[in-house]
Amino acid sequence: MVDVVTAHNRHLYRDVIEQMHGDRKKIFVDQLKWDIPVVDGKYEMDQFDTDAAIYLMALDPARKRHMGSVRLLNSTGPHLLGDVFPYLCENGVPRGDDVWEITRLCTAPYRDVEPRPVRGRIATALCEFGLLYGINTYTCVAHIQWLSALLAVGWECEMLGEPRQVGNEVIGAMSITITAATLQMFRDRKKSRIPVLQLDHIAEAA
Amino acid sequence: MSRFSEVAQFVSAANRITDLDELRTLLDGFVRSLGFDYYALVHHAGMVHAHEKRVHLHDFPEDWESIIRERNYFCDDPVHVACQTSFVPFTWEDVPNMIALSPKQREMLAAAREAGLGNGFTVPIHIPGERIASCTFSIKNGRKIPNELLPMAQYMGCFAFEAARRVVESTPAKKPHLRRAPSPPRLTRRQLDCVVLAGQGKSDRDIAQILDIGYETAHQHMEDAKRKYGVATRMQLIVRTLFDNHIAFADLMPN
Repeated sequence: MVDVVTAHNRHLYRDVIEQMHGDRKKIFVDQLKWDIPVVDGKYEMDQFDTDAAIYLMALDPARKRHMGSVRLLNSTGPHLLGDVFPYLCENGVPRGDDVWEITRLCTAPYRDVEPRPVRGRIATALCEFGLLYGINTYTCVAHIQWLSALLAVGWECEMLGEPRQVGNEVIGAMSITITAATLQMFRDRKKSRIPVLQLDHIAEAA
Repeated sequence: MSRFSEVAQFVSAANRITDLDELRTLLDGFVRSLGFDYYALVHHAGMVHAHEKRVHLHDFPEDWESIIRERNYFCDDPVHVACQTSFVPFTWEDVPNMIALSPKQREMLAAAREAGLGNGFTVPIHIPGERIASCTFSIKNGRKIPNELLPMAQYMGCFAFEAARRVVESTPAKKPHLRRAPSPPRLTRRQLDCVVLAGQGKSDRDIAQILDIGYETAHQHMEDAKRKYGVATRMQLIVRTLFDNHIAFADLMPN
C-alpha cells in the first residue's frame, strides 16, 4: 500500500509523517552526509516541506509505520531543481502542471525493512499517481552514480543538462517520462494488476 | 553544437539500437570524440552462473585480449576489484589507493601499460540484484585523460551500458531453464541478526548473550539459516548473505 498524503489529509498521518522526517534525517544526513537542515536534532525538513508538497508513503499494512516515501512538488511552484539547481538544465527548467519533481526518495533504514520491495511499490505508485493526475513528466536532481540503477529499472530517463561536480559528487538534472507502458512494465514484473495507491483518505479529506 | 547536445544525440541513438553491432558503431565514433581511445562495457567475472546473460563489449587491442586469456587475468582484474569498493568513478592511477594489490594484480597493471593501455577512467555500475559491472574508457600510453569531460563520460557510459544490457537481456538465452539465478532464500529478522553477529566474529554463545536469547535458540537460528542456503559452514553463510545483499559490509565493520 502507498498512501497519498496531502495538505488536506495530513492530520490523519501525523505519526508516520514524523517517522518519515526522522528516517530522512538518518538516511540523508547521518548516512549520506548531505549538508541539509535538521530540525530538533532529529528531523530532516527543508523549505520545500510545505503544504504544496505531496508525499507518496509506503506504509505497513496497519498504516502505523513509515516504510519509505517520496516527496512530489509541482514544477510551477518552488522546487529544488527550479530554485536551487536551475543551472543543471541546459534548456531551462521544465515547468508545467504536468511536470512534477521527485525528491527525498527513501526507504526506512531498518534491517527488517527490505528496501527493494518498498522501492518497487513506490515506483509503481509514482506511475499510478502520474497517470491518475495527468503528470507526464517527473523531474529530479540525481547523483549520476545511481543513474545505471535507475535505467536498469526501466524508467524512461533523459538528462536535462551536463552533470556537474558539486562538492565531492557529480549530480545531474533528469526527467522521467511516465506512460501507461511504464506502469504496465512494473505490474508485469510484479505479476499483479492491483493498484498500490490508497486513495480513501483523500476522499475522506475532500 | 554544444557538447551536451552531442551527448544527448548519442544517448537517443543508443536508446534506439537493436543489436550490439549498432552500439559498437556508435561507440567507435563517440568515444574518440570524447578524447579516449578504447572502451569496455562489461559485467565482471566472479561467482558465475554459467549461462547468465552478461554484457561483454569492448574494443581493446587484440594483443591485450589474448594476454588476458593466456594469463587468465579475468578474476584478478584490479580495476574490477576496485569497483567493488566504489560507487563513484575513478582513474586507474587511483586503484593502488583503493585496494591492496596482489603481485598478480601489479603484474596485470604493468602488462596493460605494455600492451599500450596507458590509463583509464572506470565507472562502476552497481545494479541491485546483478553482478557488478563497469564502463571503462581508456587511453593510449602518453596521452592524457580529458579530466573536464569525465562527468559527461560517466553520463554517456551509463546510457551505453544500459543499451547493451537491454539488447543482451532481450536475446533469447541458450539454455532458458538456466536463465535466471534462483531467487535467494529469505531469512527471518532474527536469523539476520545472528548472521550479522557471526560475521563480526561472535560465537553462538556470544550471540545468545548479546541478543539476550538462549544458546540453543541462537544456535538453532544459525543452523536454520545455513539449511535455507544449503551450506555447511558459517563462513559460507556469511558470504552468501553478503552476496545477496541481505546484510551489508557496513554491518560487519567495527563501529
